[in-house]
Amino acid sequence: MWMSLWSEGFMQRALLATVLSGVACSLIGVLIVTMRLSFIGVCISHAAFAGALVGLHMGISPLISSIATSLLAAGVLGPLADKGNLSPDTAIGVVFSASIALAFLLLALLPGPKSEALGWLWGNVLTVSRENLWLLGITAGVLTLLTLLFFKELQAVVFHRELAAASGLPATAVFYSVLMCSGVAITASLSAIGGLLVFSMVINPAATAYQFTYRLSRLFLLSVLFAVLAGWTGLALSALLNLPSGAMIVLVSTAMLLVAVSLSPKRRFGGGGTR
Amino acid sequence: MKPPACELREVWVAYGKTPALRGVSLQVEQGELLGLFGHNGAGKSTLLRTLLGLVSVQSGEVFVEGVPVHQRYPPHLRQRIGYVPQILRVDAGAPVSARDVVMMGQYAQIGWGRLPSWQHHEAANRALQAMGIAHLADKPFGHLSGGEQQRVLLARALAQSPRLLLMDEPTNSVDWQFVRDLRKLIREVHEANALTTIVVSHDAPFLAGLCDRVVLMEGGKTLAEMPASALLTWVGQEFV
Ligand SMILES: Nc1ncnc2c1ncn2[C@@H]1O[C@H](COP(=O)(O)OP(=O)(O)O)[C@@H](O)[C@H]1O
Ligand SMILES: [Mg+2]
Repeated sequence: MWMSLWSEGFMQRALLATVLSGVACSLIGVLIVTMRLSFIGVCISHAAFAGALVGLHMGISPLISSIATSLLAAGVLGPLADKGNLSPDTAIGVVFSASIALAFLLLALLPGPKSEALGWLWGNVLTVSRENLWLLGITAGVLTLLTLLFFKELQAVVFHRELAAASGLPATAVFYSVLMCSGVAITASLSAIGGLLVFSMVINPAATAYQFTYRLSRLFLLSVLFAVLAGWTGLALSALLNLPSGAMIVLVSTAMLLVAVSLSPKRRFGGGGTR
Repeated sequence: MKPPACELREVWVAYGKTPALRGVSLQVEQGELLGLFGHNGAGKSTLLRTLLGLVSVQSGEVFVEGVPVHQRYPPHLRQRIGYVPQILRVDAGAPVSARDVVMMGQYAQIGWGRLPSWQHHEAANRALQAMGIAHLADKPFGHLSGGEQQRVLLARALAQSPRLLLMDEPTNSVDWQFVRDLRKLIREVHEANALTTIVVSHDAPFLAGLCDRVVLMEGGKTLAEMPASALLTWVGQEFV
């Protein structure tokens, strides 16, 4: 009976959604982990969640409104982190708490049953819509293409932004583009994995891969591999045990990270201390 | 007549509201090895960053090889400036090898969406060899010692085939035994590649033994200039 589940249409869509969001999130995750932008990533994912609720309130597509708010957050945070009078941590903290507050306010004000809104909070890969699947597919495809085309530039900016700029690379444009792409990748994955969990899907596979290699190209490959592995394992467990899929996927990826850290030849947590 | 390698005219630069350069004028001739000396906070690093176009110039003019760069920096000029920055804080596990770092200097010249050609790899190999670190090429950059990292960054600058070389406090991250080697190395690189070189340091003996001419900076201004041989006497008398 359980095996027959996999041939169901909704299950195949779920498998596809997991692969696509795994690719999108983990590519972005490698950049976020190596450029140490974790807090910016958290912030963007919560802004995306608040945006989905704004959409529900105003009767527009939550997908579109969450893309708008996450791009807004990315667009505000980049310059703030760069040259604000506030320290970046403070700026991020302010945007982060404001978007959480906005999300919960909107959640409380929402009339009637809140199941759709909670769906954006927790996510459900089994009910991913057709339009969302398209968005995920396009996002994963475009991000893969961009990563290949701009691999050199990304590598240089990951290593040292000012040095990249000094040698004539458009380092600031690359940095802001990474933030914008994070916004899109996170939003596209939102309804599959949920606003509270999507961020761990960005960080965990990249941090897991970080334990095993000193090469950026392998970091991208391993990260995608771990994301898809975590996605499918989590999905299988959730179907088997009848538990929420987003939560299972994240727990599996966390377990993978813990195992990786304990096995790591580097013995270092992703993006950890400087020497 | 050749234009100066680079020139600042009455340049003001500020971080927020605090000025870091207060009307600096400086002219560096082609082929010169110039030392820039001063205490911490004097504005030396900011001067280098101004030549690289990394900070915006509030007023005044900046020229590289006679071309004004303070409004729009022509990419081909910037690609030919080798820059060895002060200290790099890089995670020990960072996913870059020494060779990657050396290649990176050429990325802007290669252009996006293209793979490096064998000439670019050759340039990197030659630079690694010239710095005596060919055997470290495939090690993670974060695993190297301060002196080794310094050589990698110098190799990176060389692989760019620069015309202008800017070094910021090269003695900071290396131990005293390496300082003498470093002086020889910079001198050799400067002469072998017919460069114009600016070396920033707060280490007077190091500059005195290395440069042709030294410019002193204090409080965002140039204070004096002298032949390098006069630096130690001057420092002993006035600059303590
Ligand atoms: N990124 C920065 N933000 C704000 N102030 C800075 C920054 N970098 C340097 N400064 C200030 O500008 C002045 C000149 O600094 P700098 O050029 O680094 O001096 P030096 O290299 O001679 O030690 C100092 O007062 C320093 O505090
Ligand atoms: Mg300095």
